[in-house]
Amino acid sequence: MISGLTLAALIKKEFLQVFRDKRMLAVMLVVPVVQVTIFGYAANLELTRVDTVVVDDNHTRASHELVTALSAEGTFRVRYVETVRDAENALRDGDATAALMIPHDYSRHLDTEERVQMLLDGSDPSQAQAALAAFDQFIAARASGRASPAGVPTIVPEARFLFNPGLKSRLFMVPGTAAAVLVVITAIVTAMGLTREREVGTMEQLLVTPMSSATLMIGKTIPYALFGLLDETLILLGGNLLFDVPLRGLGVLFLATTAYLISTLAIGLFVATIARTQQQAIMAGFFFLIPAVLLSGFLTSIDSMPAWIQPLTWLNPVRYFVDISRSVLLRHATVTDVWGSMAALVTLGTGLLVAASWRFRSQNSK
Amino acid sequence: MRARGRGTLRRIGAMARKEWMHIGRDSATLYFALVMPLLLLVLFGYALSFDLDRIPTCILDRDHTQESRGLAQHLFSGKTFEPAGYLAREDEVEPLFRQRKAAVAVVIPKGFGAALGRGEPARVQLLIDAADNVTAGLVLSYMSRFVDANNRVLVESVTGARPGFALPRVRALYNPDLRSTVFLVPGLIAFIQSMMGVLLTALTVAREWERGSMEQLFATPVGRFEIILGKLLPYFGVGLAQLLLVLTVGTWLFDVPIRGSLALLFGISSLFLVACLGQGLFISTVTRNQMVATQIAAVTSMLPAALLSGLIIPIENMPRVLQLFTQVLPARHFVSALRGVLLRGASPLSTLPDAVALGLFALVMLAGSIRAFRKVIA
Repeated sequence: MISGLTLAALIKKEFLQVFRDKRMLAVMLVVPVVQVTIFGYAANLELTRVDTVVVDDNHTRASHELVTALSAEGTFRVRYVETVRDAENALRDGDATAALMIPHDYSRHLDTEERVQMLLDGSDPSQAQAALAAFDQFIAARASGRASPAGVPTIVPEARFLFNPGLKSRLFMVPGTAAAVLVVITAIVTAMGLTREREVGTMEQLLVTPMSSATLMIGKTIPYALFGLLDETLILLGGNLLFDVPLRGLGVLFLATTAYLISTLAIGLFVATIARTQQQAIMAGFFFLIPAVLLSGFLTSIDSMPAWIQPLTWLNPVRYFVDISRSVLLRHATVTDVWGSMAALVTLGTGLLVAASWRFRSQNSK
Repeated sequence: MRARGRGTLRRIGAMARKEWMHIGRDSATLYFALVMPLLLLVLFGYALSFDLDRIPTCILDRDHTQESRGLAQHLFSGKTFEPAGYLAREDEVEPLFRQRKAAVAVVIPKGFGAALGRGEPARVQLLIDAADNVTAGLVLSYMSRFVDANNRVLVESVTGARPGFALPRVRALYNPDLRSTVFLVPGLIAFIQSMMGVLLTALTVAREWERGSMEQLFATPVGRFEIILGKLLPYFGVGLAQLLLVLTVGTWLFDVPIRGSLALLFGISSLFLVACLGQGLFISTVTRNQMVATQIAAVTSMLPAALLSGLIIPIENMPRVLQLFTQVLPARHFVSALRGVLLRGASPLSTLPDAVALGLFALVMLAGSIRAFRKVIA
């Protein structure tokens, strides 16, 4: 039986415990905001600068002009070196990510081709790819500056970026970071709180009180659910004030947050039923969390994962919350647009909660 | 003096042996410590990738000519773009983006085929879902390459000659196919290891305080310096086993080359390990509470190692202040040193700054732990 009075007493005890320990309070309230702030500033996947070394064997006005134009383009930070060997050493030691080789006969062939060679450090492929695209564009712009033969049909693409016209990484990253921070805070704290009671021996004291295990379970999780909702609010406000992440669809978002917190707290409960010590709890907790966070589409797109891994993400609550947060905040999505993810989140949350409470009850029943 | 030195060694040995027995007795922790990093590496090594194909693409054809249909057909002949529907109106595009059913829409305006027939430039509009800015950039770059290749064919078909202006040759060193796995695996190794390293030691001192066995330790002639070193040594053994296991499996399974010297790799790895274990010990000594210790360990190791180490987000893109801050993170130096040594065969001289930073961090952490210990005893 769940009794309202004992439940209220237990919730009060949990809150007292958190508020008494200032460090715990900092972990619950300050840390999430600090993290989102730092990562909002840090998470920039845009290509801003390519350190480039140039080997100019041509030494003509044309080759100088090419290098000046390249450095004026903005992305490429150009610096001359003497030999090809120097250029290769710079790439190897990470002092440069691109090397432009201008051969001695460069200016002679200029009317038919840009006879240069570009070496890129492929050890960072996404930056290399972005640098390659920027270089292609630079060369293409130079080529189109020359007279193009008349009467030749060409397709001219014009791109328009929707929802994030400035291609700002932080708009994309902040909603994802919120999902990651929430799962770490709520699941781990619940798991550790319960195992600590068991380790210190106060769990037995709680169990001998006339409180049902259901009351115990709810009382142990509700305070952290409230902290989670508060964290989400703080993160959304911070994201809006600092990074101009739009605030919209808050009704849908808080519905999703609640469903999400149910599943993360259930994970915490579940971990607590497996672990005997706090050390085991933290190990087991991270064993769930790290894959859940990294396989959520938070940092790398789920569409880029191999086909056999993608179905694994269907069981991942973080994935759905990341998805809903981004769609609602950035793409103006409504409930009807995200109902699939929402249904999955609710189902997962309920399933996890049932499984966790079943284990919890069979462990702590009298 | 010498006798005292020998006594110190003996006491460190005794502490280490005691700690080793703790580790051995808690088989679950040991199991996690050895199996978990490996599982994580295999999972992430396969799962994380920036390579994008089968981009869901919808077509809005207002031209309905042979040319416009040809363009769509040509676009879907490769593996990069996949049809996600043919639309009739432009306002059908955004709902598809919202439901994540398409990432790009190609709008072919009326008169497209006619313009091509007259030998004029024909415009095509691309609408790209840019909520995910990285994917949007890639989509545009793939589209541009497709259009460029298409134009070459068009020019050749009209003039009967290869287009006059040849693009320069570009070659990617160290990773010619630009596979993202080669780039991510060294970073993942550093990420996993920095987390495991800190977590291994973060609880060890705090647990002794919580259980009251710390007072018992104080009653013995073991000094604080000896306690810290004695706690460090066994975990160094476990950590080194972890690291070697992960490095071996990672490079073998994902075809990551080892181009630099093995001695350099081993040296850098050991420094990094001591830095992480030191960080864990410091946290443990200062907090004296397992729950707070783990939260702080997670916050100071896992998230920074994932987001501020250069594993995925390039450090040179961060604001100056944050770039300076990353200098403090062991994971950042290990990621860059590991990539240098494994992928580019970087020289010892070029990895020296990272090695020095790791060494300094380790020293500060260990000295900090010993100092914090003294305060506690007083």
